[in-house]
Amino acid sequence: MTKNPVGPPSTMGHPGGRFTGPVVKPKNQKQTLLRIWSYLKLQKVELISVIIIVVMSTLLSLVGPFLIGKTIDDYIVKLDVNGAVKMALVLAGIYIASSVLTWVQTFVMIRISQKTIYRIRQQLFEQYQSLPLAFFDQRKQGDLMSRMTNDIENLNAALSQSVIQIVSSFLTIVGTAFALFYLDWMLALVTLTVIPLIVWATKQIIKRSSVNYKERQRNLGALNGYIEETISNADIITLFGKEKQSIEEFREANEKLRTSAMRADTISGFMGPINNFMNNLGLSLVIGTGAIMAVTSGLSIGVIASFVTYTRQFFRPINQLSNLLNTFQSAIAGSERVFEILDESQEVADVTNAKVKNTFAGNVTFQNVDFAYEQGKPILHGIDFHAQAGETIAIVGPTGSGKTTIIQLLTRFYDATGGRILLDGEPIEHYQMSNVRDHVGVVLQDTYLFSGTVRENIRFGKLDATNEEVEEAAKVAFAHNYIKYLPEQYETVLTSGGLNLSQGQRQLIAIARAILEDPDLLILDEATSSVDTMTEVHIQKGLSNLMKGRTSFVIAHRLKTIENANQILVINEGKIVERGNHQTLMNNQGFYAALQSQLMA
Amino acid sequence: MQAVLKLTKYIRPYIVFAIIAPVMMLIEVGMDLLQPTILQHIIDDGISQGDTSYIIKMFGLMMGTSMIALIGGIGCSVYASKTAVNFATDLRQDLYETITYFSNNSKDKFTLGKLITNLTSDVEMLQRAVTMLLKIFVRGPMMFIGAVVIVFVTARELFPILLVVVPILAFAMYFFTSLSGKLFHKVQRVVDQVNTKVQENLAGIRVIKAYNRKNHQIEQFTDVNTQLMKRSMTADQIIGVLAPLTMFVVNLGIVAALWLGAIKVESETIKVGVILAFINYLMMVMQGLMSSSMVLVQLARAIPSAGRIVEVLDEKADIQSPNQPVQNSVRGEVEFQQVSFSYIKGTEPVLKNVNFHAKAGETIGIIGMTGSGKSTLVKMVSRLFDVDQGVVKIDGVPIQQYDVEQLRQSIGFAPQKATLFSKTIADNIRYGNEMASDDRLEEALLAACATEFIEKLPSGKEHLLTQGATNLSGGQKQRLAMARAFIRKPAILVLDDVTSAVDSISEKKIQQAIEKQFGQATKFIVSSKISSIRHADQILVMDDGQIVACGSHEELLKTNSMYQEIDKTQEGKGGTLHD
Ligand SMILES: Nc1ncnc2c1ncn2[C@@H]1O[C@H](COP(=O)(O)OP(=O)(O)OP(=O)(O)O)[C@@H](O)[C@H]1O
Ligand SMILES: Nc1ncnc2c1ncn2[C@@H]1O[C@H](COP(=O)(O)OP(=O)(O)OP(=O)(O)O)[C@@H](O)[C@H]1O
Ligand SMILES: [Mg+2]
Ligand SMILES: [Mg+2]
Repeated sequence: MTKNPVGPPSTMGHPGGRFTGPVVKPKNQKQTLLRIWSYLKLQKVELISVIIIVVMSTLLSLVGPFLIGKTIDDYIVKLDVNGAVKMALVLAGIYIASSVLTWVQTFVMIRISQKTIYRIRQQLFEQYQSLPLAFFDQRKQGDLMSRMTNDIENLNAALSQSVIQIVSSFLTIVGTAFALFYLDWMLALVTLTVIPLIVWATKQIIKRSSVNYKERQRNLGALNGYIEETISNADIITLFGKEKQSIEEFREANEKLRTSAMRADTISGFMGPINNFMNNLGLSLVIGTGAIMAVTSGLSIGVIASFVTYTRQFFRPINQLSNLLNTFQSAIAGSERVFEILDESQEVADVTNAKVKNTFAGNVTFQNVDFAYEQGKPILHGIDFHAQAGETIAIVGPTGSGKTTIIQLLTRFYDATGGRILLDGEPIEHYQMSNVRDHVGVVLQDTYLFSGTVRENIRFGKLDATNEEVEEAAKVAFAHNYIKYLPEQYETVLTSGGLNLSQGQRQLIAIARAILEDPDLLILDEATSSVDTMTEVHIQKGLSNLMKGRTSFVIAHRLKTIENANQILVINEGKIVERGNHQTLMNNQGFYAALQSQLMA
Repeated sequence: MQAVLKLTKYIRPYIVFAIIAPVMMLIEVGMDLLQPTILQHIIDDGISQGDTSYIIKMFGLMMGTSMIALIGGIGCSVYASKTAVNFATDLRQDLYETITYFSNNSKDKFTLGKLITNLTSDVEMLQRAVTMLLKIFVRGPMMFIGAVVIVFVTARELFPILLVVVPILAFAMYFFTSLSGKLFHKVQRVVDQVNTKVQENLAGIRVIKAYNRKNHQIEQFTDVNTQLMKRSMTADQIIGVLAPLTMFVVNLGIVAALWLGAIKVESETIKVGVILAFINYLMMVMQGLMSSSMVLVQLARAIPSAGRIVEVLDEKADIQSPNQPVQNSVRGEVEFQQVSFSYIKGTEPVLKNVNFHAKAGETIGIIGMTGSGKSTLVKMVSRLFDVDQGVVKIDGVPIQQYDVEQLRQSIGFAPQKATLFSKTIADNIRYGNEMASDDRLEEALLAACATEFIEKLPSGKEHLLTQGATNLSGGQKQRLAMARAFIRKPAILVLDDVTSAVDSISEKKIQQAIEKQFGQATKFIVSSKISSIRHADQILVMDDGQIVACGSHEELLKTNSMYQEIDKTQEGKGGTLHD
């Protein structure tokens, strides 16, 4: 298994998507922040322009008050109306510039943050497409969805303000600090004493809110998981009259979220008032000390007054920063859940110089293949067979014996844990994975259709197929027969999962999809299990043409469909217990014969 | 806006919190306003008199008011969060309850992706709006109104400026909030699409991998992702105009004040101090407006979300129990009289004039072409849909007169698609009957031929299934789904093609178990295999939504050409591959 690198790819849509490199798990906040920053950095030009604009607009905002004072002192007081009007016009110009700059900086910053989260969403989706099936076996779909929307959204909220506030706050803090020291260094020091307090308080709050935000996002993800699973299986809930139970289970998850959301919100809500208190504290200290100094060493009242103003100005950006830090906790909590997925191991990488073939002859050899989904729980034991190019191989056996598992190794959904699988004489891992999948067509036991038209669903098998080709494939799969009666024929829109078709109709589309792909190796895993036998006969006529000269694997319980196979492999408990053609197996009077006779009884 | 009003009922239980929060905020604001006065006293009375003890006293007072402000601020925060989080949680709960009772129709109408957005993102949006409302909404308008009043009293000569500035700002705020409502409605709609896309890609991941369509899927996602980025960007950027615009208008007010002020000072109608005061108050007006507009924008964002949520809440459950349901327990006699039904009203019916009568305890086999309406027919027995025409009667009573819950309680239904939940095997089976004893659980598993494979699992019945039970084989899933129906010991048992992935030996065993254990129950067995239904009391042959023949296996073999044809395709000899 390979790891993908930390941080964003150098280009969007990373080539091949597989890199080797060290994994850095975001163990702490700093690393997560750095990782977020690494995404922001991708927009250097915008970032630099925002910083420049923020510097300008901050400076302009300082010029305004200065000019007002000047206008009053130098013109209005001196009753120079013309001069005052001129100054007012200058001021108006400055305000226009400053408003425009403020808007531009917001505009650009929104662009930066939206692009950033776009990138992260895109990367997350690509990661979902690149993760091995074993990953999905352990996760709830709804939770994975929550990471895509809710968690990433948290980041957006923090990013869109971040750079502007950091830069402008920093400038203001430095500027006012200078002014403070210039006015009176002793009082300035007094003002600064509050800063460690603010830092300490912020740290305390952040420490707690970060834990709670994480908990909240986790609960939100779990809730999403529950919602997604129950709404997509709502039929079962209705059929079993379990609405109340399901509502109660939801309540449990919802209450968890209530508690953690309340904690997170409450604790981060302390931030504002506590900062306000710190300001007041600082102000009181300044005034108190200032007053004592005035009494004892004759500090001027004017200095105290200016000090008060500047102290206020000094604390405002500090508060902003500490608020921002808090908002970032929520963003970090979300990002960590996203990065966790991005750090998951992707599907096995292709070997170096992996082979690519335009066509496969279709010789398939299993040499002593073992396989286990989970360590210590072997499913397949020493599977050994050879399929000559063009042959039809039937795999039969009782439920759970490992038939589907065998073909999942052929499509490289999973990799064998022991033995070798040869495709045209080469180990299957020596080919590019995509190359193998492009040439192996499979109708899965569990049909899945996407929302979209019937045509789009069939075309999934061959993206550049013409309408005629699509309909041709549908005819061979005998799907055309019912599609022509659908309200909009091939343009009929299916719901997610194709639930507005009957189960058999869905299977027919899945078959048509595989036919359209025109693969070198065809695998049918119970492809017609829900289809009535009359339709099945029609499909088989079409399929038998298709299967001529093309290696095919057929799994079926209705043994009729496999009687004419070149080889029949009978699997039981992960082992091949019998093999041969229909006739020899029937004569054997073994397992196969027993299965057959039950059907006839 | 109406939608928002409808949702206020979720605030009502927390109305006390909702009132305390702004009151606490008033305390904070009040204390903050005291500070300058105390400062005044320190300078005027303390310093000028050289009275150190007075200064210290005032310093103490300042600390005291700060503390009170702190308490007020924290109180406001706490109660605002309390209100908002409770509001959101209750709303989410109600929303989920409504959705749980949705019919298939409603679910199709709203789509899964949208419902998920409703329950998470939309509710979240409202929660944020309520928090903001309670935390800031008092402060902003108070500051604004206070400043306007003071200007009117102290700087009346410059008041006309406010008469220009305030309406412009009011209009701008109105304009932007209504605009943002529209913009964010669009954003939420794309969020729905993103949710749908991701959901489908996760659910269909195996198909995508099998066809190596990773890049294709990424391309499709890029489309919605780009749309989401563009729409959010546009919405945020347009709304982002409001703040600088407000600032700009207020600043123009300052310019006007200087201009007008200069003239009036020259003509000696006002003093310079008035201009200074006016400018200060104008700043306050701006601060008030800015924070109010932030709340307004947040509210405006929440309005489309509120609308979307209310739309869901208002959706009526199609299928409801009557006010006075019949009380008798179900024996299992099922009768269809002239039943017609279509999924999409106005199109050709899926079931057409269906008639049959199943006596209690009978086995009814149903066979027919793909899409002929078999699943639809058996779903009518559980009243998953209501008929368009005709009646479905159970024990002679129209099905609509039963309490829906009680009706379904007496039916054990194993649907065609074996759907299990991500729980343990035992929990999944007990889903059919929580009260079931361990023995009964065993019995159900045995009847479904599931014991044999469960025994081999390391954790046995406590084996945890993944979502969609992907860690089981197809036939194993079907057996568990069957066991879940069996454990109910229902009066009516519906098995919709549940042995399609079960091997023939196991199927035989299952058939025998059903015969033995469910002799009393009326059994509906849908299958495409004649061997699964040949012993049924009645076999319904369906074609294109109609029952074209009905009778026992032997009768049908003699009389019905379609049945004969089906039988022929399933005969022992004459395989069809490589014809
Ligand atoms: N993703 C998985 N994780 C863990 N175990 C699995 C997984 N998929 C299948 N299994 C187990 O592996 C065994 C073989 O399953 P497989 O799907 O290959 O059976 P099958 O022969 O296709 O059965 P059926 O005829 O019912 O489809 C079963 O016991 C099953 O529970
Ligand atoms: N939710 C739905 N919305 C619209 N049409 C539907 C819906 N479900 C089924 N149909 C249509 O109703 C018809 C009957 O479907 P039904 O599922 O009852 O068939 P079936 O006999 O069970 O088929 P199969 O043997 O394939 O399971 C089909 O033509 C199907 O396309
Ligand atoms: Mg299988
Ligand atoms: Mg069906």
